[in-house]
Amino acid sequence: MKSKRLLGLLLLPAAASLCLAGCGGSSETAAREYSKGIFAMGTYMELTAYGEQAESVLDEAENRIREWEALWSTTDEDSEIYAANHSQGRTVPLSSETEELLQFALKMARQTGGALDPTIYPLVNAWGFISQEYRVPSQREIGELLALTGYEKVKVENHGVTLPEGMQLDLGAVGKGYAGELLADYFKEEGISSALLNIGGNIQMVGSRPDGTKWRIGIRNPFGEGSFGVLESEDTAVVTSGGYERYFTDEDGTVYWHILDPDTGRPAQSGLASATIIADSGRMADALSTSIFVMGLEEGSEYWKNHGEFDMLLVTQDGEIYLTEGIEDSFTLEDAFSDREMHVIRK
Amino acid sequence: MSVKKLTELAMLTAVALIIFVVELQIPNPFPIPGVKLGLANIITVYAVYRYRFAETLLIVATRVLLGAIFSGSMMTLLYSMTGGLLCLVGMTALKRRLPGKYIWVCSVFGAIFHNVGQIAVVCLVAGRGMLLYFPFLLVSGCLAGAFTGLCAQFVIRRFETNILSHR
Amino acid sequence: MTRKTRILLLLCAAIFLSGVLGCVWVLNRPRGTWVEILQDGSLIQRIDLSQARDQNIDVEYEGRSNRITIENGRIRVSQADCPDHICVDRGWLDSSIPIVCLPNRLVIQYTDQGADIDALAQ
Repeated sequence: MKSKRLLGLLLLPAAASLCLAGCGGSSETAAREYSKGIFAMGTYMELTAYGEQAESVLDEAENRIREWEALWSTTDEDSEIYAANHSQGRTVPLSSETEELLQFALKMARQTGGALDPTIYPLVNAWGFISQEYRVPSQREIGELLALTGYEKVKVENHGVTLPEGMQLDLGAVGKGYAGELLADYFKEEGISSALLNIGGNIQMVGSRPDGTKWRIGIRNPFGEGSFGVLESEDTAVVTSGGYERYFTDEDGTVYWHILDPDTGRPAQSGLASATIIADSGRMADALSTSIFVMGLEEGSEYWKNHGEFDMLLVTQDGEIYLTEGIEDSFTLEDAFSDREMHVIRK
Repeated sequence: MSVKKLTELAMLTAVALIIFVVELQIPNPFPIPGVKLGLANIITVYAVYRYRFAETLLIVATRVLLGAIFSGSMMTLLYSMTGGLLCLVGMTALKRRLPGKYIWVCSVFGAIFHNVGQIAVVCLVAGRGMLLYFPFLLVSGCLAGAFTGLCAQFVIRRFETNILSHR
Repeated sequence: MTRKTRILLLLCAAIFLSGVLGCVWVLNRPRGTWVEILQDGSLIQRIDLSQARDQNIDVEYEGRSNRITIENGRIRVSQADCPDHICVDRGWLDSSIPIVCLPNRLVIQYTDQGADIDALAQ
């Protein structure tokens, strides 16, 4: 008898722990989550939205992405960009979306003094970053191709673009950010107050998390996998550019990455390992992440002081971290990087 | 300490070491550090029941130290020494309550003490994440402890009956 | 059997039972796609296996090294200078039980800490 009672006592904690294990997975009734993965624009997109209407909104979002892809692809023979790139100097008509995007890209090119150049495509191609058959072009070849670049030679008027023969456009540096921004506007129109659009690593937030707290966005560690810190934010876009995204190594061990300096036609050597831009506008964040990466720490800081309206987080090749004052309190380093010193850039 | 006692202890240490080294040669089917049969503990359990604490301590400490040298992994010395000593103390404390046919239970407790000591040091060294191992160490330790305990129990009781029948 | 002996027997059974339950709990722990590599208890890298490209990561400890291999979203220790090679024998990390190289104080385990970010800007 007695030992039976004792046995019962023993089973009690066992039963209790089983109960706990069973109850751990319960969740409160929150806004329903819908998500969709899409391969488009040469990347993988993961769209997550909350709310009852989110499912149909996501379907429409995919349709729109496919339309934009069809307009802006450099390889699809039916795209407007392909048409412009093979126009042999003739004027090509543009849809309103493409015109706005191109105008924006040209405006950013002027504003950044050419650190962003939507006409760099022939060089990107020569380095093999399009075909992924990587090679190092000769200095002569680079010189010849540089003559075929220059954003100031692109004319956009009367809903059409005129491109000198041999020149080629690529809206890749702004297209994904612009798509994210357009989608965020559309989601808000449809009454969605919480969504997270991960467009191949470009993050566009709509509102805050469904529970009202801020989104937590990891910032990629440029020297390895995973994130080196977390940014808390809402209703903004976060875009990171870095040499780690696409690169190759030659026989001597030299690393060449896909972000080219429009001045030299070679991979940008600005001393930065990655540049992250946080801005209300997705296309702005996208355009600036590339151009600030090309500019480097000093020129980039200067640009920020003059133009403001965004925040940035820069990691140098030496592993030093610089961030602008606006995100000083919302960015925290991961444990593994907690010994790194963060330098705050102030106006 | 009499020469006879010294010889006995030295022989037991030697036997424990041989068992330890032989077990090292058997491939371990469980790729989890610390999970093994620990056959050398048969000697420890035997000694706990046949000798005084200080004498058993000599056997265990010498065996663990020489074992670490022989196996070439001095780094594990810290874990095995802590585990071994805790095991010894625990078994000595419990042996009076667990005589004769309960020797194997005492051995299981010894294994539990051993695992607790081991995991404590491992957690200090490699971080708290290692606690995830503890249940596996514990279960394997209990089973291995029961096995080595039964072996020791068999030896000890056989000795007792032999000695009685020869008298 | 004295009363104290019986209590000890039951205690022994209870510890064993809780050990078994603990094993079940560990094996059923939810694991995502994030793993962390720890050395000497401190974090070296946190990796999202679903995103990570195939690669080798070499980790050194007092002149000895372990080569960690990531392939097709899986992670393992493929080479090690340690005496016991338990970490290599373990193969791919396929459960919540960490891969451990005690001599080189290396731990590879699933973590839920990466999951506390909503997305990774890269």
